[in-house]
Amino acid sequence: MRRSNGVTATQIALGLAALAASSSLLDKRSLARARKYRTGEPKQAKAVYDNRILGGKLDVPATVTAAKRLNRAAGMLALSVLADSGVEHYRGSFKNKAMFTPLIVSAATLGVSVHGTADRRKAAHIMRDTTYLLAATTGLIGTCFHFYNVAKKAGGFSWQNLFYGAPLGAPMAILLSGLIGFCSERVRETPRGITPSIFDLPAGRAMAALTSVGLLGTAGEAGLLHFRGAFHNPFMLLPVTLPPLGAALLARTAAAGPGRRHPFVRWWMRLLVTMGLAGVGFHAYGVSRNMGGWRNWSQNVLNGPPLPAPPSFAGLALAGLAALGLMRDHPDA
Amino acid sequence: MRQYRQSEPVDFVIVGTGAGGGTLACRLAEHGFSVVAMDAGPYFRPLEDFASDESEQTKLYWTDDRIVDGANPLQMGGNNSGKAVGGSTVHFAMVSLRFRPEWFKSRSLLGYGADWPLDWREMWRYYSEVEDALKIAGPITYPWGPHRPRYPYRAHELNAAARALADGCEALGIQWTETPIATLSAPRGLAHPCVYRGFCTSGCSTNAKQSALVTWIPRAIAAGAEIRDLAMVGRIEADNSNLATGVHYHRDGQWRFQRARNVVVAGYAIETPRLLLNSATDRFPAGLANSSGLVGKNLMVQSNQAVWGTMEREVRSYKGPPSLAITEHWNYEDKGKDFFGGYCYMSQGPLPQLWANTLLSARGLWGPHLISEMENYNHVVGLKIVGEMLPQEANRVTLADETDQYGLRIPRITYSWCDNDRRLIDHSLAFMTEALEAVDATDIWRQNDDTCHLNGTARMGNDPLTSVVNADCRSWDIRNLWICDGSVFPTVGGVNPSLTIQAIACRTADRIKTMARRGEL
Ligand SMILES: Cc1cc2nc3c(=O)[nH]c(=O)nc-3n(C[C@H](O)[C@H](O)[C@H](O)COP(=O)(O)OP(=O)(O)OC[C@H]3O[C@@H](n4cnc5c(N)ncnc54)[C@H](O)[C@@H]3O)c2cc1C
Ligand code: SF4
Repeated sequence: MRRSNGVTATQIALGLAALAASSSLLDKRSLARARKYRTGEPKQAKAVYDNRILGGKLDVPATVTAAKRLNRAAGMLALSVLADSGVEHYRGSFKNKAMFTPLIVSAATLGVSVHGTADRRKAAHIMRDTTYLLAATTGLIGTCFHFYNVAKKAGGFSWQNLFYGAPLGAPMAILLSGLIGFCSERVRETPRGITPSIFDLPAGRAMAALTSVGLLGTAGEAGLLHFRGAFHNPFMLLPVTLPPLGAALLARTAAAGPGRRHPFVRWWMRLLVTMGLAGVGFHAYGVSRNMGGWRNWSQNVLNGPPLPAPPSFAGLALAGLAALGLMRDHPDA
Repeated sequence: MRQYRQSEPVDFVIVGTGAGGGTLACRLAEHGFSVVAMDAGPYFRPLEDFASDESEQTKLYWTDDRIVDGANPLQMGGNNSGKAVGGSTVHFAMVSLRFRPEWFKSRSLLGYGADWPLDWREMWRYYSEVEDALKIAGPITYPWGPHRPRYPYRAHELNAAARALADGCEALGIQWTETPIATLSAPRGLAHPCVYRGFCTSGCSTNAKQSALVTWIPRAIAAGAEIRDLAMVGRIEADNSNLATGVHYHRDGQWRFQRARNVVVAGYAIETPRLLLNSATDRFPAGLANSSGLVGKNLMVQSNQAVWGTMEREVRSYKGPPSLAITEHWNYEDKGKDFFGGYCYMSQGPLPQLWANTLLSARGLWGPHLISEMENYNHVVGLKIVGEMLPQEANRVTLADETDQYGLRIPRITYSWCDNDRRLIDHSLAFMTEALEAVDATDIWRQNDDTCHLNGTARMGNDPLTSVVNADCRSWDIRNLWICDGSVFPTVGGVNPSLTIQAIACRTADRIKTMARRGEL
């Protein structure tokens, strides 16, 4: 008679195993790829080696590969923002015309990111650069808007308003997307033989640091909202534990200095990519837990956990991977 | 569900399955006792049986005949009594508040009412147990009283009516918070979170509401208790050795008898004394457990006055549970009062029929006036108190000569406010008027006469001469007869009672377990 479908320890173990398995699968694929290139090669500077291989095959320098990966990461974040702000601002009935802004900007950011991901040229693109800067600015302004929205309510920055007011952290995602995209352009335009840098900082490590901060912020946002849901399902602990660890690993990587490989950090980033994508599934399950389940989707998609939110972790982890890749291919970066 | 034979005496037969009886049935069964819990009402399954229709849902109310008199006759029915498995908690408003600690000693510490035989620190632990069982959604920190653990679930989003209360409090410089309520703000087991349709006091058809019906009874059944619905208990049988032997109950058109080693009465503050009085024998001519003469006396309702106004903007106060924001300022602040006791006030969200009724009964509106006022429904905002009324022996339940459909004598309920009650009400109405003015509400008017909740009539205490049961809810006169519901309150305090009733039931079950182990039953 007692009805309960509490998540059992077995379910949790299975879930975690699935996460780990799929992320190591991802890892294996790339390891295999790397191994294919590496077989029989004497130990030598990776950059030179990669350049030779890739140069011979595709004529794409490591900087462009890294830039493309960063475009992909920025695109993933922009996609998450586009879907998330679309749903949330629709829920808010677009009461203020400014609520259309993140939709337009993130759509444009997504567009230029796709363009960048396909682009093998070594030069930055003015449209991409402008769009990315615009995205970053939008993120900043959006953050201000959301702070204002929360502050003006009775109780100010109370838990009530942090839980249910405009989410303070959400616009940061488009800010991060813009920054990652902007950095991508800087990496891309770096001439051969020169260490890619961003604001005079070695690009790989600077990106690792930025991603680390982004992961922490996003984990903070997930933490706040999962706390609002009283962590009623133990899986809700994943995005507040795995990403901060990832952030710490990336920060250590950034601080560690040049010329190192970070296989464990790469593996962890893949774990985060998997987690971010699996999060959509978890949230879809969350939607089904509301009255009427998916049959009542038009209400519950708005009401339940946001489907598009978790992939922002995937976007950031992809940026982390791009940074690590750049550091591997360009030992000085 | 396990079922027991009538002829085999169960450890406990419990009369009533509401906040007191339902909780006790669960905890006793979990402690390993055999339990049959009876209720005069049906066992509803909310997902199938509840409609989003105010009229249909009146099926949840106790509307059997009762006679009311006194200077302030009570309005009985939906606003204060339920008849269903789960009792009044099936259609209660879910507000789940703790007593102010001093109220347990209000006679010695605050100079009015009567002391409870319970210690607030022990109650604090049981409150936590109940809050966790119901997964109360409440604020992160509660502004008043001693520390309490964090509520298991987070507070719900405030609706516009609650925001109006918050704005008013901020303007008047007093604290407010989200009301701790027993409806889910996140999924739990198979139950969905609240969908904010505001049907709470008509029964919740989503099972988001946590109640005796949804929370305690399924646990009780899982632990081996039997719930016997549509079973109206008419008399408790007591033998010549001062022991109860079982109950006579009416089910399926005939009277039956269930044998039991212990009888618990949990029919709420009208039906409990009525049953005890109706069970009089030659040996107990004044009714069972009534050597003090206090059974039926000291009935206490709570004042439930309101101030209403109209906002320029749309409020749609009926969206969501009715009382999402609260201030307990005047429960904890003793300065500036010309009365004993305290009150809290909460935001309101009446459904349309209830609202039309309120306009009719409190303002006499009818016809075109009523229609035009109903057009303002979406703009209405209101604040309502739950106020402490003092215990008076003259406020009481006695038996009338008339009988009901079972042939049982019906209760006569006599109620009059005292001066202190009136002063408290006046204070609250003036204060809430200010609060509505502060948020620019217009057309402000006062609903002067409304009451809620029923308590007292079988008070607990330390002395058999001045109380009906002891701290363990055990009657002084018949040691296997227990009373475990709102009747045992010596005072009511200025908060809704159900959390305290459930906490007492949890404590009683633990005490019974201890006493059984020691052979003291
Ligand atoms: C509309 C409404 C809103 C409320 N809102 C709140 C709130 O927000 N917060 C709060 O704390 N409290 C609230 N209350 C009060 C709360 O519901 C009651 O105080 C509480 O349920 C009382 O518990 P009880 O066990 O004493 O009685 P009940 O819960 O009423 O249970 C008594 C049960 O006994 C049964 N019964 C009675 N006599 C017999 C008999 N002779 N034979 C068989 N069965 C019998 C009845 O059918 C009933 O089911 C509300 C009440 C109402 C009516
Ligand atoms: S508002 Fe919530 S608690 Fe009230 S009836 Fe609806 S779902 Fe149930």
